[in-house]
Amino acid sequence: MLFLFLVFTSFAVTAELDPKSNAAEHWVHNEFQPSTLTLDEQMQEMAWFTSASQPFVGMKIRVVSERIATHWYEASTLAKAFYEITGIHVVHELTGEDDVIKKLSAQIMTRQNLYDAYINDSDLIGTHFRSNAVVSLSDFMQLEGESVTLPTLDLQDFIGLKFTTGPDGHLYQLPDQQFANLYWYRHDWFNRKDFQKRFRSRYGYELGVPQNWQAYEDIAEFFSEDIKEIDGKRIYGHMDYAKTDPSLGWRMSDAWLSMAGVGDKGLPNGLPVDEWGIRVEGCHPAGASVERGGALNGPAAVYAVDKFIYWLNRFAPEESIHLNFTQAGEWPGKGLIAQQIFWYTAFVADLTKPDLPVVNQDGTPKWRVAPSPVGKYWQAGMKSGYQDAGSWTLLKSTPLKRQQAAWLYAQFVVSKTVSLRKTLVGLTPIRRSDIDSEVMTQRAPHLGGLVEFYRSRGRDVWTPTGTNVPDYPGLANYWWQYISQIIEGKVTTQNGMDNFAAAVDEHLALIADNNGISCEPKLNPKSTREFWLEKTGAPKQQITEQAKGRTLQYEEAINVWK
Amino acid sequence: MCGSKGVTRLLTVLLTIIFLSALSLKAETLQILTYEESPFALKVGKTHKGLLVDMLKELFSRTDLQYELKFIPLKRAIITTERMPGHCVLPVGRSQEREASFHWISPVLVSRYGLYSRDDVIIPLTTLSDAKPYKIGSFLGSGIGEYLTDLGFNVELASVSAQNLRKLKRARIELWAAELISAREQMLKQAMNFGEPELIFYTSLRAMACNREMSLEVKLKLDKALTSMYRDGYMSELYLEYGVEI
Repeated sequence: MLFLFLVFTSFAVTAELDPKSNAAEHWVHNEFQPSTLTLDEQMQEMAWFTSASQPFVGMKIRVVSERIATHWYEASTLAKAFYEITGIHVVHELTGEDDVIKKLSAQIMTRQNLYDAYINDSDLIGTHFRSNAVVSLSDFMQLEGESVTLPTLDLQDFIGLKFTTGPDGHLYQLPDQQFANLYWYRHDWFNRKDFQKRFRSRYGYELGVPQNWQAYEDIAEFFSEDIKEIDGKRIYGHMDYAKTDPSLGWRMSDAWLSMAGVGDKGLPNGLPVDEWGIRVEGCHPAGASVERGGALNGPAAVYAVDKFIYWLNRFAPEESIHLNFTQAGEWPGKGLIAQQIFWYTAFVADLTKPDLPVVNQDGTPKWRVAPSPVGKYWQAGMKSGYQDAGSWTLLKSTPLKRQQAAWLYAQFVVSKTVSLRKTLVGLTPIRRSDIDSEVMTQRAPHLGGLVEFYRSRGRDVWTPTGTNVPDYPGLANYWWQYISQIIEGKVTTQNGMDNFAAAVDEHLALIADNNGISCEPKLNPKSTREFWLEKTGAPKQQITEQAKGRTLQYEEAINVWK
Repeated sequence: MCGSKGVTRLLTVLLTIIFLSALSLKAETLQILTYEESPFALKVGKTHKGLLVDMLKELFSRTDLQYELKFIPLKRAIITTERMPGHCVLPVGRSQEREASFHWISPVLVSRYGLYSRDDVIIPLTTLSDAKPYKIGSFLGSGIGEYLTDLGFNVELASVSAQNLRKLKRARIELWAAELISAREQMLKQAMNFGEPELIFYTSLRAMACNREMSLEVKLKLDKALTSMYRDGYMSELYLEYGVEI
């Protein structure tokens, strides 16, 4: 009798799996190509998903992410494939990154299960590892999540794991997509012999990829005020945005100060001072103001903000002061911008569309990306720019069964079966194996330097916000509110940054008192500015001498990444 | 007479203290502005009812703060709150554009949005993209209508939300995008039942926006009270009274 029951059960399960197996075959052949796996390996990986998801068949899970091309592909194509292969229905919602953070914070605050998983920037790693609200994936994969952890996940193949690991050694987030902030410029204009000659005669060195902020400034001046027009159209040597809006905060908090050289040496983030000028002692944030050993209102930070405002007012299009991140993102594609110091590669897909004035007839771009120039306080060994690493995050307030089902979907959209195809759609690579693939070699000439960047050590020195920021959602609003007061001329840069640093110190003290978080802030007592400025490292003494501009030709410039 | 003068002086002092106390109490009374949107907030004669009205009553009962609830149109409520200290408005979408203008107490409302089809038609939707071929009804000024339009969906906007039920019934639209609690209310009112949505596709958190001069102390009291309402299950029970889960 038992034998008959087992035979019947086995038959019923096989019959149930068949449509899913057929679906897997359909998706593998028709959508998930190319892949770094063979067809057989892909089918084996999909068979594992079908089998591991059996206990969750019929569940509906809810995930949320920001609204970029990669996530649109996941929400519309991959969620459908996952449903047909596993029987788990996923509503993958797209919204603004600011909204993702607010929703994640709301779930932590209310403990209501608003979503079963979040794709949230690793900028929050400092918040996550302290909060006791986020699931440690290291533990989960070995304990409650073991049966739903993909044997071929191959964690070491992910290039961004350092960004999503806390100082306690636990992995808190799994990277889903990454894009970097690089220097962007019109390679075709820079290669014009007449422009090269004019630039050399005016500035005394070659027109090329700027290596420091002085060269960037000279090139901005050259195109905005010397060249002025190309083919009868007004052109600009610099592009930025400064609307009083949260995206103004990201412009500055996404490593603008680090590029100026505000922090200390160390990768992925400087120690003891780096992101947002916050000093850490051990794992405890000790203050943002110079008076407490931080660097947010130090000479390097003031220099960084002053340059932002000066370039914006003098060299950028008149409209830029009223634009936000999204609106400004369209400008380089119009063919009027010569360079942008800090440009998100999430826009690569948009700026390689045919018929744009910045794309050649053969589909190759007229632009290139290269390492961003660094400010006069920057030293070798410091982070060189910003990289966004949107990463899967599970919250403890989500019931276990829902965490497990969501974890299956998370692994599906980053699996080797899927990830190369996803990389080609959204151009936000996460796996070394995809980046090194032959397919990417063939696509490289069409992507303006993106592949070269991700094949180099650049992918390790362009880093997200680090673990010294203990409350990203709580502190993020300060950036645009205080910086906008300076841009609007309501306060001097020094006074504005003093106020900003004092507010951050106050917030650090508040969260130390109010939350039972680990590695909580322990503020240093106030000392004189001189006390800290005279020590080595950040905060750094003012540098008064003017640097001379330095440039390199494109090929030499990207060699820096090797 | 001396004594009489003393009593008069004492009375005057006492009356002054009472008057100043009343003024001080008045100054601490927050003016909460909302607008009629059934079943969240509505006026019935001289009383107010609805999910948000219940929520506010509980919220302030967990603080030592006083409030007065007034109904005025949303746009005027937002402008008034932006300009006048001691005012708050709810429910408001907490957008990037508005972020700088207010202090925020949130979330005061968790809204889920679904796509409804006619009761005799099943449109299987695995993902939101599956709704691309269909004409979706929403209404002018609706955030969810804008969201779908921005994503490239075929959205037809009615002048008021209620028109969408008749349009769906008469097959002038194939799907109706609506917030679950208000959809339930509208179906009851118009005696039409489209059943459960084909897909619940979006969650929005709405907030109470307060004038920027609100003190940190008052804001923290409201934040703390709101958090406790979620954590002890009050909010879940309140939503269930209105027929949905958070």
